[in-house]
Amino acid sequence: MAELEDNTVFQQDDHRAAYIFSAPSSEDQHHHDASSSAARPTKRRRVSSKKDGSKSRQQTAAAAEETAATRSAFTPLFNSESPEAVRLRAESFETAWPVLDARIQHVLREANRNTLDEVTSFIRNAEAETTQIPAGIIITGPNIASQDLLFEQLADTLCKATQARFVRLRSAEAPNLKAALKKIIKDARASGRDDDDDTDDDDETGLSVCKNGRKYLNYDLETLHVALDVNESPRVIVAFQDSEAFDSGLLTDLIALFHSWHDRIRFSVLFGIATSVQLFQARLLKSTARYLYGAQFDVVQAGSVLESVFKSAVAGSQALVRLGPSLLRNLVERQQDQVAGIQVFISSLKYAYMCHFYANPLSMFLTADGHVDRQLLQSEHIQAVRTLGSFKAHVEAAVEARQLNHAQSLLNDDSYLVDQILKQGQRRQDHVMRLLRSLHLITAMGILSTPFTDLYISALAEGISLSSDMFAVVDPIKRLGPDGIISLIRRLVSAIEAGSPELDLPGWESKADELIASLGEIRNEVESLVERTKDNRNPLKSKYGAHSKVLRTTVVAQKVQLSRDTATLTDEDNAFTKAINSLMDILSQHIHCDPAESLFLHEAWLYDSKSPYRDVFIPRLATTFGRALTRPHDYLGCACCGNAGGAVASTLPTTAILYHLYLEAGALINVADLWSAYYASVGDESELGLDERTALVHFYEGLAELRMMGFVRQSKKKADHVAKLKWL
Amino acid sequence: MVRRKSTEQESASRPARKRELPLDHYEVPDETTSPKRRRGPNKNNIADTDIGAATAKASSLKALKEVGLVETITDGANGPQSSPQPTPVKKRRGRPPKVKTGEAANVAAASTPLAKRRKNVAATPVKLNGINGVDTPSRRNNADRSARRKSARALIDRVFGGALSDDEDEDGGIAREIYESSEDEEGDQEGQEARDDDQEGPDPTTPSKKRGRPRKAVSARKRSPTPPRDLPPHEQYFYQNKPGLTKTSSNNLSSLDLLTHEEYFSVLRQLKDPHASDVEFLQSLHAESFPQWSFEISQGFSTCLYGYGSKRRLLHQFATYLSERSLSPQQPKVVIVNGYVRTTTIREILSTISNAIDPSYKLVSGNPVVMVQNLLSLLSTTGLTVVLIINSIDAPPLRKAMTQSILAQLAAHTQIRLVCSADTPNFHLLWDSGLRSSFNFAFHDCTTFGSFGTEIDAVDEVHELLGRKARHVGGKEGVTYVLRSLPENAKSLFRLLVSEVLAMMDEGGGITAEGPGIEYRILYNKAVEEFICSSEMAFRTLLKEFHDHQIITSHKDSIGTELLSLPFRKDELEAILEDLMS
Repeated sequence: MAELEDNTVFQQDDHRAAYIFSAPSSEDQHHHDASSSAARPTKRRRVSSKKDGSKSRQQTAAAAEETAATRSAFTPLFNSESPEAVRLRAESFETAWPVLDARIQHVLREANRNTLDEVTSFIRNAEAETTQIPAGIIITGPNIASQDLLFEQLADTLCKATQARFVRLRSAEAPNLKAALKKIIKDARASGRDDDDDTDDDDETGLSVCKNGRKYLNYDLETLHVALDVNESPRVIVAFQDSEAFDSGLLTDLIALFHSWHDRIRFSVLFGIATSVQLFQARLLKSTARYLYGAQFDVVQAGSVLESVFKSAVAGSQALVRLGPSLLRNLVERQQDQVAGIQVFISSLKYAYMCHFYANPLSMFLTADGHVDRQLLQSEHIQAVRTLGSFKAHVEAAVEARQLNHAQSLLNDDSYLVDQILKQGQRRQDHVMRLLRSLHLITAMGILSTPFTDLYISALAEGISLSSDMFAVVDPIKRLGPDGIISLIRRLVSAIEAGSPELDLPGWESKADELIASLGEIRNEVESLVERTKDNRNPLKSKYGAHSKVLRTTVVAQKVQLSRDTATLTDEDNAFTKAINSLMDILSQHIHCDPAESLFLHEAWLYDSKSPYRDVFIPRLATTFGRALTRPHDYLGCACCGNAGGAVASTLPTTAILYHLYLEAGALINVADLWSAYYASVGDESELGLDERTALVHFYEGLAELRMMGFVRQSKKKADHVAKLKWL
Repeated sequence: MVRRKSTEQESASRPARKRELPLDHYEVPDETTSPKRRRGPNKNNIADTDIGAATAKASSLKALKEVGLVETITDGANGPQSSPQPTPVKKRRGRPPKVKTGEAANVAAASTPLAKRRKNVAATPVKLNGINGVDTPSRRNNADRSARRKSARALIDRVFGGALSDDEDEDGGIAREIYESSEDEEGDQEGQEARDDDQEGPDPTTPSKKRGRPRKAVSARKRSPTPPRDLPPHEQYFYQNKPGLTKTSSNNLSSLDLLTHEEYFSVLRQLKDPHASDVEFLQSLHAESFPQWSFEISQGFSTCLYGYGSKRRLLHQFATYLSERSLSPQQPKVVIVNGYVRTTTIREILSTISNAIDPSYKLVSGNPVVMVQNLLSLLSTTGLTVVLIINSIDAPPLRKAMTQSILAQLAAHTQIRLVCSADTPNFHLLWDSGLRSSFNFAFHDCTTFGSFGTEIDAVDEVHELLGRKARHVGGKEGVTYVLRSLPENAKSLFRLLVSEVLAMMDEGGGITAEGPGIEYRILYNKAVEEFICSSEMAFRTLLKEFHDHQIITSHKDSIGTELLSLPFRKDELEAILEDLMS
């Protein structure tokens, strides 16, 4: 009955362009406001998620009411997850993400810092140097998505630094000269002082009344002049965000106008440019270009921005959820291959967090303070842990290591398992620390030129060990001379002391006494060896050094023979070789990390699922539509169409049948033939046996849908023909 | 004449043999039918034989498997046993040969030769198909041959050049390999050729001429009527857009009585969708994602539902869910926009949102850019959340870049949450990366299979697609209504026009895609004759009135004369005329 009512409401509204939606019935609304804990009407339960038991819904509702601030859209999992656990997950998400978000925003702002300073000093100094209009030309690159932030920052900084009025113009907002001037005047007047602007705008007459009582047209720069006059230095900065998109005539006019007002209002302009200055200049008239006193500024490359965002948000120690290697590789590749923009990377990151906390019940172990209330663990959680792949691997490893008691209690004893689970929080942190420290040491060596993102991803996937291909630092270190070794050790020690602010990694010299001490020993030894061999003619070398081997070239019977001779090593040299060996031992002992997936319960903190990311951010439209139309059974699961298996059957939805025929047709389709083919498959002689008029109604529907989806359009070539537009 | 008899006899025996032809076409059928010359059977269609013969030599084994070809070859192979007579020189231009074969008496069946021959002709396309199959064997063969020639030269050079170094030796190895591999293949074909040559004897075709023939065959090949299967979409596009391929029949829908709105809806009302329950179930599956979507939009994402089928009902349910679920005292305001409604404008959307926020507030009118700034500042002063639900964000009324950028501005605001649906398969081309990042979309496959009943006016859409009728006032009643408000001479002019068009319909002339059209000039002259109007100016004014009400259409024919026509069916016209006369 309610359904029927809904439908009538529907019908009226369906043909309106826009309307305010009101909840179906007032009675329901009332009930809602009261929000009593009485049983809900069945109707409502139907609308909500099917998984919810009504009981837990009530509880959730109650809980949500208590804490309206942390109210969230999280649904109970396991069919019967306790509301506390749900809330815990929601809270974890709500605390984890903002921390990261703030860091990312900070990184992005910092990335533009240099450009901002340069532009500011240019604008400040340019006026003294020239009478032309100062023009800062900022090469922003093709990614227009990140421009907004840059110009926002420019507005902030320049307003503070130069006391100027800042106006941002986008091509969409300024289609012609009049509109552009109106916008400039309006924004410039607004940006200076927001409260005591005592002029009145009257949009209908297009006049502005200024405080001197005179009326001006609202696109007359005189208005601006009068408004700014109270200031000592009326200075206006106009920023053209997407200069390429502006009409070049409009730009020329504006610049000429600015120049003629330059003695009364001091204009400066900024251009955001995606291509190159040359191309931009070519679009301006020479006479216009003469008015400008330009300087070029570059913005930080997208790649390095990605790297720093990656370091702070993905790799950094504050990142609660670790993204898995395959997902990360996907994300980074998308950044490199497509002009997706850093914003896409950030939202993908956020989405991964959302997925993890929303859909993984075990994410409740991942609270910010690392403490989980034992009471919250339900039997379902324990059961879920026992089905994990990492649990299986852990138990098997325990059996292999003959820790049979441990293995058995893991399997049978719930409370023992809970203890183990609670311990894992610490393990996770240890692992992350070990990973980051090792990576930090490796990058501090300055030997590898691999980008940090790649290093991190492979460290997650395969772990870190100095012998692997990815971290091929062993040979280069062995080949270092004594000076190189000494400076390497110095770099390592300072890396340990300083930590890495980018990774949010504090120094850990207090925990690495042993390492620092042994590194110091080696350094002392090498230094003393250098001292001893100072007077020698031969410099100190190890047996690994390249110069210890002599390449000998002999020409025998018109053939070149190469042979290597090992130069003789002195005692000092041997000692040095030994020192290098012990250095390598120490390093490979300390720079080491297991792959993330080898850890027990990594499922609770490692998110490595590609499919939601792909589905949500890179939809495959052609495939989806093609599948729905060629194989409707995949979606409908109906009894009648299952046997068709991708072929035409009379029971398929009309549009699907037409789509099959469409696929078979050429670039031009005769509708009469299409109709007769369609009628042949659903008409009197088929199983369906529709009469002609009914079939025609279906045919109309299907054809109209094909047209609406842009598959066909009218063709003038022949009567009753349509042209094919899509090849999915 | 004798020659023809031999052909008849051949064609008579042919169908039977064809049926028996074993799968392995190289197996020579052991029939010892009458002696015949190689080119006998296909005399009627010499070009085909040429292709056949040429391809037999030039094409790869694959092409040889085609029935027609092999037949030619087996004929040739059979030949030597019983063809003592050397064929006269240059027999290829289908002239009847003078030589008497003497086997005329052997004609077994007295079937009608003509029919048989037709059958023979009809069979030829099969042969042709084989030649333009998916790949082009002859071209590949040419490439092979040239590779072989090159490698042969390399081998020779090597022998003469003497002094070898290691890597050259390696090249030599490759060259030899190419040479030998192609020798294998050619071996087979040369075997065939040899046999052919044996048999053809005096035929003066020189080997060089044979070389030339494959090229001729390639250029002469026809296009296959059936498309190659399983091409990727881009290949399919190029295949189907080849010039000259777009051959369609000249059938048209004139015999079919097209639907009117009344009939369409009366039939539609009685229909029952056999998939209704499945569609319902599918929708309930999608509805299970409501909590997820509401979480997404609360986190600053915009949800975009795509996939085949109407998503209007789903979104309506989602709106219901959102307003029921919200427990906070500040209910989100839900605004639903129907992009598919043809009159939707961005101004209307903005003013509706402003209404939802504060009904008493009056949004500045004018440029939408100014309106949206005004709206957003209004929103920021309140603490409200607005959920904006847009049905068919990719519908034509919303496709303008301006509209989309304003929607993006709205979506980027923290207090506005956007949920939208998209119906076309390439809606994502609407947005550049800047817009995409302000929309911050999360896409979901929501294929519902729901009917587009509300979104699409099927009858109008189809008729527009067929170029039958533009949008017009509804039928006869509409015209009468319009005419009632027009002056007397406008009615007379319309009556004149209708009667002229009806007369043309009866004569059957002047038919165009828009129906019968009458020349502007002629109509003007007639109107002047009947004192309907005195000047062209007045005539134009009257016509403009009709145009504005869309009861006439005008278009130019191929030589540029302006034609006026009426977008109505004949019976409608008759009814209108009756009305006007009474």
